[in-house]
Amino acid sequence: MRLYYEIAIRSFRRATIYRSAYVAGILTNAFFGVLFSSMYRALYEGRERIAGLTLHDAISYVWLSQALIAIGAGWISWHMELERGIRTGDIVADLARPWNFYAFWLSRVLGERLFNLLVRGSLTYLIGILYFDALIPSIEALAAFAIAVLLSILISAALNFLVNITAFWLIDITGLVLVTNLTMGFFSGFLLPLAFFPPALAVIAQALPFQAITSIPVRTLLGQVRGADLALALTTQVCWAMALTGAALLALRAAMRKIVLQGG
Amino acid sequence: MLAISLRLIGARIRSQMQYKTSFWLDLVGTAVSTGMEFVVLFLLLQRFTLIGGWRLHEIGLLYGLTSVSFGLAEMIGRGFDSPFERLIQHGDFDRVLTRPLSSFVQVLASEVQLRRLGRAVQGAGVLIFSLAQVEAFWTPVLLLLLLLSILSGALIYVGLIVIGATICFWTIKTPEVINVFTFGGQQLTSLPLSIYDRWIRAVFLSIAPVAFASYPAALVILGRSDPHGLPAWIAWCAPVVASVFFAAVLGFWQIGVRRYQSTGT
Repeated sequence: MRLYYEIAIRSFRRATIYRSAYVAGILTNAFFGVLFSSMYRALYEGRERIAGLTLHDAISYVWLSQALIAIGAGWISWHMELERGIRTGDIVADLARPWNFYAFWLSRVLGERLFNLLVRGSLTYLIGILYFDALIPSIEALAAFAIAVLLSILISAALNFLVNITAFWLIDITGLVLVTNLTMGFFSGFLLPLAFFPPALAVIAQALPFQAITSIPVRTLLGQVRGADLALALTTQVCWAMALTGAALLALRAAMRKIVLQGG
Repeated sequence: MLAISLRLIGARIRSQMQYKTSFWLDLVGTAVSTGMEFVVLFLLLQRFTLIGGWRLHEIGLLYGLTSVSFGLAEMIGRGFDSPFERLIQHGDFDRVLTRPLSSFVQVLASEVQLRRLGRAVQGAGVLIFSLAQVEAFWTPVLLLLLLLSILSGALIYVGLIVIGATICFWTIKTPEVINVFTFGGQQLTSLPLSIYDRWIRAVFLSIAPVAFASYPAALVILGRSDPHGLPAWIAWCAPVVASVFFAAVLGFWQIGVRRYQSTGT
């Protein structure tokens, strides 16, 4: 356990170095926050409530989903050089070490993403609060969010790993990344809140893991999921986290059996 | 010089067409993934009916105009995007400077990416769908205005991509912030400019004037007036604005090239 903790801490520290990158990231997120807030203002035009959301809710939703980009809310990435490591074969050195490779990789992801959440995410949302009057969350909502966002990181990390590790079998994963990102951006509620989906699409979204990555933590912090709903939402997240992590571990086992090391 | 660059670009395109399946998959993939933006607008308008008083096909006109011009620019200006960053980082720009052809033309011709056309194709689809619902559109004058707006828009977007590349001469890296003006500008100007705050309208009409690709032309074609008093005739200024902007960008590029010091790697 100690080992993984140290790996996470190092990954966290490493993320602090790229100062210009996260400043640029915050600016970009804030730009899109402004863009979509203006859009919702023009959409509501004095109307009180659409599909259960007020303008204030919609704007808070925009800023929070922008804030969570850095922890994987919008799309999966070619993460931590995993795919490149597989393609070039460099990964064998890490696979051969006496640790669980998935746990090692996850610790790095957790370290980096917690940093992103604390710095990039919170600053982005702060801009939303200051300039667009985004909702200031209650203490209870914040506590529930802490759990939901951690589960969200676990789910998105597992999904990232699953997609990237297919590089062991596929020659080129570009297509798979594209399809995953299309599905994820839409069905996670990142591009638009699930509340605005037509009923048929909303049903599909509820059945997929993506909403557990974005929609659930966002709605939790905004206080839209409470009591029994919250328990149900967190249970859903736990189930997806276990299922996808299990799948990631199985995929890793299968991959390990597939590799042949060529001594040199 | 023009003949040489056209031949270089032609060779590029022919080489890309060698892998036909991959080419079509890329094209369709880009079209679908960028088209998602319009799907989202479509779904929102099912709920809300209007954005700032504009209906679906009117938004579609804006969206189509920005997507076609940005899509064309992405295709033409690809050489100034990440391939250029690599060129600078590896010190390969030295080789470009030794050849008897302008560095600008060489970089431009090195990477014209036909597959990037996916966005433009998808945008053209939305544009035609939207124009089909505007009765008064099919006159030669408005058709000309449409064409001028698209070309001016494409020129401005290419200019922005070149600015990003030129900054590489100082920083070795294209600043991410340039995406705010290209990708961000495209998305921002897909909606009526009137819904934004004053300073945003000002930025996208002057500093990064990509709004000229869509909004003023749409005002004229739809016979609308801008609530903030932007005159409709300004649509006809798009080519002038684009030319002035691009000339300034070329000047900046020249300064950058003169400033260039090889990374030596």
